[in-house]
Amino acid sequence: MSYVILIPLLPLLAAAIAVVGGDSSREWRAKVGVLPIAGAFVVAAATLVLVSSQGPISLRFYEPGAAANPALPMGLYVDRLSAVMMTLITLVGAIIYRYSTGYMYQDPGYSRYLGLIAFTTFVLLCMVSSANLVMLFVFWQLLSWLLFLLAHNHTHAATLDGAVKTFAFLRIGDVAFLAGIVLAHSLYDTVEFQELFVRAAAMPVTLSPLPGIEISGATAVTLLLFVGGMSKSAQFPLHVWLPSSLYAPTPVHALLHAGIINAGGFLLNRLAPLYGLSSTTLHVVFVVGMLTAILGASMMLTQNDIKKTLGFSTIGQMGYMIMECGLGAFALAVFHLVAHGLFKATVFLNCGNVIHKARQEPAFPHADHAKEEIELPLLTWLTGFLATLVLPLAILLAAHGVLRLPLLESQGTVIFLFFAWVTSSQAILTLTRLRAVASWKVSVAMLLTLLLVIFTYLFAAETFTAFLYPDAAEVDRYFRAAALPARLFDALLVTSTLLTIVSWFVIYANAHGRTIWIPVWGREFRVRLYVLFLNRLHVDALYAGLGRTLMRIAHRVDKHSFGRLP
Amino acid sequence: MTTGWLPLVLLVGIPFSGAALGFVLWSKPRALRVWALLVSLASLAGVAALSGLPAGSFTGMTLLALLFPTAAFLSLLGQSPHEDNRAAWIMSLLLLGLGLGAMVSREGVELILLALILVLVGVLIHRYRAMSVYHPWQGIGTCGVGVICIVMALVMPLPVSAVALVAVCAILLPLVPFHGGHVAALAGLPGNLPAFLAFLLPGLGFHGLLTLPGGMPEVAWTALGVLGLAGALYGSLKAVVQSRVRSLLAYANLSFYSILWWYVAVAHTVPAQATTYVVSIGLATSGLLLAWHAIRARYGDIDLRAIRGLGRPMPRFALVFTLLALAALGLPPFGVFSGFMGMLLNPSLPVSGSLVVIIVTWLAASWYLLDLVQRLIFGRHRPELRYHDLRWAEMTSLLVIVVILTLLGIAPARLFEPGASVPQTRAQTEVISWNR
Repeated sequence: MSYVILIPLLPLLAAAIAVVGGDSSREWRAKVGVLPIAGAFVVAAATLVLVSSQGPISLRFYEPGAAANPALPMGLYVDRLSAVMMTLITLVGAIIYRYSTGYMYQDPGYSRYLGLIAFTTFVLLCMVSSANLVMLFVFWQLLSWLLFLLAHNHTHAATLDGAVKTFAFLRIGDVAFLAGIVLAHSLYDTVEFQELFVRAAAMPVTLSPLPGIEISGATAVTLLLFVGGMSKSAQFPLHVWLPSSLYAPTPVHALLHAGIINAGGFLLNRLAPLYGLSSTTLHVVFVVGMLTAILGASMMLTQNDIKKTLGFSTIGQMGYMIMECGLGAFALAVFHLVAHGLFKATVFLNCGNVIHKARQEPAFPHADHAKEEIELPLLTWLTGFLATLVLPLAILLAAHGVLRLPLLESQGTVIFLFFAWVTSSQAILTLTRLRAVASWKVSVAMLLTLLLVIFTYLFAAETFTAFLYPDAAEVDRYFRAAALPARLFDALLVTSTLLTIVSWFVIYANAHGRTIWIPVWGREFRVRLYVLFLNRLHVDALYAGLGRTLMRIAHRVDKHSFGRLP
Repeated sequence: MTTGWLPLVLLVGIPFSGAALGFVLWSKPRALRVWALLVSLASLAGVAALSGLPAGSFTGMTLLALLFPTAAFLSLLGQSPHEDNRAAWIMSLLLLGLGLGAMVSREGVELILLALILVLVGVLIHRYRAMSVYHPWQGIGTCGVGVICIVMALVMPLPVSAVALVAVCAILLPLVPFHGGHVAALAGLPGNLPAFLAFLLPGLGFHGLLTLPGGMPEVAWTALGVLGLAGALYGSLKAVVQSRVRSLLAYANLSFYSILWWYVAVAHTVPAQATTYVVSIGLATSGLLLAWHAIRARYGDIDLRAIRGLGRPMPRFALVFTLLALAALGLPPFGVFSGFMGMLLNPSLPVSGSLVVIIVTWLAASWYLLDLVQRLIFGRHRPELRYHDLRWAEMTSLLVIVVILTLLGIAPARLFEPGASVPQTRAQTEVISWNR
């Protein structure tokens, strides 16, 4: 089984190939470098098949609890979750590396860049196959640093500022993660995953950090670790680094949005048994994820730059992913991150081509929208109506009958179907903006595609849950731990439904040139809301102000301290 | 390590005689530098032989003793053979001899040697006070207090002598309000001295901490814990606003070592990882100071705002400087991270609210050290300056430091058991104060 070590080592070899050597061999080294990463993908895929049938593979270079251990306990623990992540990372890594060999060809730091991409793949692989919390933390931190380097452009001031911001925010998550590990070790005396889960379940501890405030040990640990995940997965309010890093080369974003940013979702899944012990944390996770999803999507709508739009779209998607974890649907979050990763990698790589083309052709994209119909055709509206309101109902009924899902007993399932509804609504909204659906062929094709996608998603998600978490009781325990109070849950559903339906009516009315009466304050509020989202809720300014305040305090301390020369 | 007078004579004698003979080569800076390097190598061989290596057991103290001459050698290796540096080389040998002597001697001799070190450092600060960016009298005063404390430790009974010894350790291993000597030495001395002292002084302070006699009152430990927290915060705040590299690193050191003081005060023990931590911080700071010395040798003692964008014109410098900064700010796989992590995961550490302050100061280090890297390495370089990348000797010394830091980061911590423990070690089964 020790061959699994090849999976992280092969990308490391690719990094060495890319970096070591003279300029004369630069081109062929770059091309050869993709082979080890592709090889890693083959081994990862084989490992996925193997662990599916024979169980997890554990390869430790230390003995837990032994005195002669190295300072950093290293080892690989490859279960189904790790194997899935490794396969995804090596696949995306190989594609991005290959793409970069052409895309970055003329860059002066070509070799260094390719080396960093391969090294980042290595770090990601080590992170997802970590045998314990300390090793996970080691690679977690290295990832923060690599993001700082990858987001760099030596000569572009905005990029430099963005890189610093990226590192600063990721470090906030890192230290919270560190605090979580220290607390976990202090309470349960282990950093080994399996032992930690067993001891945390067997020894419920209550902490009292402040007088009158009590919190369970599992809650305290998981909350701290979650802050670590929040920073990596760009969750509100630690999301500001992601838009700031958008000046980095486009393939870096493909890797970032397809692999690195999923770290939060992976962390929650890896520690799912621990999170399952704390309803409080799961509710916090749900709220943070929901806020991020809403705010990310809203801010996305106000952006006018393709990369920023995609960046905020990723923030929104990460919000969904984290929200899924908060609902106890851990496997669904992994499924989501795999799907989103592949999708975003494709979009970003394509976006690179579009940007290049736009630079070469000043008239691109062609501004011939004036010829298009301004009015929203009835057919478009009907398609959207079917996709948003009727289709989900059909799926709901079909799922109830065909899959025998306990719809009313499980909030997670209801929420999942609700996602499908909202997502299809979002998709149709996007398509109507393109004004390209006003034909029967397109409408039917779109409806069928949506139907197929959502059904596949539903089936795949069910299968995937059974694959990642074969123990149905465990899955059920997570759902129960994550269950929201019934009234709150119903209120959330009703509010979201009303909002979606009202927005459809507004769109329809506006498209037909009809006026909907909105009070003056409502119109003003809408404008203010738009400006607020356009300015990203002024969160960046808030952080900048906080930084300035800290600097003022530091300067004051410096001014009044001993030993300072006048 | 072997006991008796022989080690003392040998370990002090080699560098002292080397320094004395160095005056013969005073008019030939190149030859003097080579001589100083050979003497530090001879000291290293002497330490290795006396500690019984390779057959003998390896402890944290052996590591410290071995690294004193190693640090001296590495700090000398990258020096340009310029006549302005001669005094610093000779002083390095004298300080090395005194430092090794203080480590191996007992029965009060070590205190006399420590007093001599403080006197020498005080004199050096006074001699070079014109180039200091820190108030020199503050540094000299602190060294003077150190000497007085040593006298008190020699003549007064317990617990006064124990408290006096702790104060001496706080001067060497900087702790608020005794940090003046350390900051002045790092921020104001010429040549390789700041880089060497950045390792030597904390190393001696740490050694002193390990060999403290019992009798420290509990209230003194509590006060040390509070001072540790205050020092960690104060050092961070001061480091954030510095525009001079040497003072920034000096205050960063204060912050990092204050964390150790806090740890010792609350845990009442010094685990093996603490040795890794102290040694790694000393080496990382030493390396950064050496790297900065290479810049000073080219452009003078300039402000951080006057130079930037060295990444492209000086790639070798950029690489090692960045690696050293990474090590210093506590990223894996370097020793600072392993030491810190090991200390925090040690069962002897009671988890309390003060840990939040420590974590925040740890985070602050990422801020100011990254800012240092950012300002120096990245951005557009100034086209009016002529750039010369690191010479092989400079590069070698820095790379060796990086390698040692990496080895410290991955080697089993058991290797660095200090070989002594702080008195009044509490039982580790103590109830965590905020844990029901």
